[in-house]
Amino acid sequence: MSTTITLTLKQAPALRVDLRGVTPAALAALSVGAVERLSVTHGTQILPLAELFGVVRSDSAGDVDELRLIGDLAHFDRVGWQMAGGRVFVDGSVGDYVGGGMSAGELQVAGSAGSLAACEMAGGLLTVTGDVGDFAASTLPGSMDGMRGGTFIVKGNAGARFGDRMRRGNALVFGNAGDFLASRMVAGTIALGGEAGPHAGYGMRRGSVVFAASNAAGDIAQTFVPAVADAPVFWQLLSRDLARHGGPFAGLPARSIRRYLGDVAAGGKGELIVAG
Amino acid sequence: MSAASADIAKAPLVINGVVIDDTFAEAFPMKATRIVITAHNLTWARHAAVATTGFATSVIACGCEAAIERELDASETPDGRPGISVMLFSMSGKELAKQLERRVGQCVLTCPTTAVFAGIADGADVIDRIALGKNLRFFGDGWQISKMIGGQRYWRIPVMDGEFVAQETVCVTKAVGGGNLLLLARDTDSALAVAEAAVLAMKRVPDVIMPFPGGVVRSGSKVGSKYPSLGASTNDAFCPSLIGLAAKTELTPETRCVMEIVIDGLTDTAVGAAMRAGIDAGTHIGAVGGLLRISAGNYGGKLGPYHFHLHKLLGQGAQGGQS
Repeated sequence: MSTTITLTLKQAPALRVDLRGVTPAALAALSVGAVERLSVTHGTQILPLAELFGVVRSDSAGDVDELRLIGDLAHFDRVGWQMAGGRVFVDGSVGDYVGGGMSAGELQVAGSAGSLAACEMAGGLLTVTGDVGDFAASTLPGSMDGMRGGTFIVKGNAGARFGDRMRRGNALVFGNAGDFLASRMVAGTIALGGEAGPHAGYGMRRGSVVFAASNAAGDIAQTFVPAVADAPVFWQLLSRDLARHGGPFAGLPARSIRRYLGDVAAGGKGELIVAG
Repeated sequence: MSAASADIAKAPLVINGVVIDDTFAEAFPMKATRIVITAHNLTWARHAAVATTGFATSVIACGCEAAIERELDASETPDGRPGISVMLFSMSGKELAKQLERRVGQCVLTCPTTAVFAGIADGADVIDRIALGKNLRFFGDGWQISKMIGGQRYWRIPVMDGEFVAQETVCVTKAVGGGNLLLLARDTDSALAVAEAAVLAMKRVPDVIMPFPGGVVRSGSKVGSKYPSLGASTNDAFCPSLIGLAAKTELTPETRCVMEIVIDGLTDTAVGAAMRAGIDAGTHIGAVGGLLRISAGNYGGKLGPYHFHLHKLLGQGAQGGQS
């Protein structure tokens, strides 16, 4: 038995709303009335959820609890914050911190997201069909590690500092990325379908950044060195995994690559991979 | 491990002139794993696989029993290169882990252009995971790189031809070791011909290996010895050279050569299917080709829980039995 809770936005709030705690698992155990009384912050106020959303609950024979959010939630932050299972579907855009710290489950945003999407994400699947703001797949201010697991897919464009301090997991951007892509990256994989802004890989220690467009990497920083040896086995493993996402990554296994190793100013065990 | 005494035939079943003894092969539980070795071409994958499975005929003294299962074309391997599927069997998971690490470390890591992957997927039969590249990575002296791809961790270890890629761990599964057939033939030529045909047929069965040289063992053993320090000794009841000398023989004078095929498999069903394939290959050659009898080795049912009755294998398809 699974539960689907549908929250339909009544009207856009004047201030920002923090939706932490509103997860499929938390809501599945509650009656409609209890869901309506659930407290969320609106600016400095605390409001019941019913002030903002119409609530509908339905049970079905499935085994995955689902939360459906309908409306433009651009003023709603922390959608799917630290979710550990279930499925969240947002029919519209969301605010900041979407999927932050999530460890399992599936979160899909049929719109765009604000800053810090997937920050410190540790597992599960987060898909944003539109754009994401700055510092996506990165770290919370003051924390050492950014995204640390799971799969993060951005079908649109990403802002600056995408993957800053990212440690593990896969992050794919089908469109373009802003400045300082993969800055201070610790490990993991970032794949970019479009073009990157300046300073890609700045200070990266380990990890792989794949540029599916042959001219996407722009000027490779002087702190990266061309790889002399091929890595065909690794490339086939990685490219086949990326190819299943389709789009600009579909043909990667059949393409040759150039690799640049660095950032040698930070150990040099990372790599920028440019598909030919 | 090879066979001991065979039951004396009670009601001979004859196929194409070949007597099928009313007896059973006795097999025992083992732990097993499968690895996939790929390389730039099949030649180098085979070099690595042959080296990895060298000196791995019997757990009596080799630590494990291992052999090539089959060749893989590029479409069957994780990295799209030709490869070889290798299976290793041991009596314990701990010994299996030790043997795997040593053999992959010395025979695959060292072999030009190779990579190594787990060949058994997670599933209900998996009882453990053991290191594959997990410890070999330290050969990289700090230059090794970990990579999570598709939920699996791989290690990239710099070597002089580029990099050696190894999946971090591989699954261990329960398995069955010691299935066997005894091929009693008129002479050496016919015994070899039958054994080779049987091994060829058995190699087409998935999930099994025949770990002895060429899949065939001529030194079948019995449990125990007149020498206290030895746990096994020659199977004198099946030695043609001892007809008329040994107190008990299973052979008639026209049998001048006996070959044994030992089968290890991931399941009793696979072992039974391989035995059935071997029997079919042997009886296809028949008495005209010099094969006189097919028997099997057992220890009176005391060694292992898996009993493969030859008549049942022929009459009921390839089903092994656990008793």
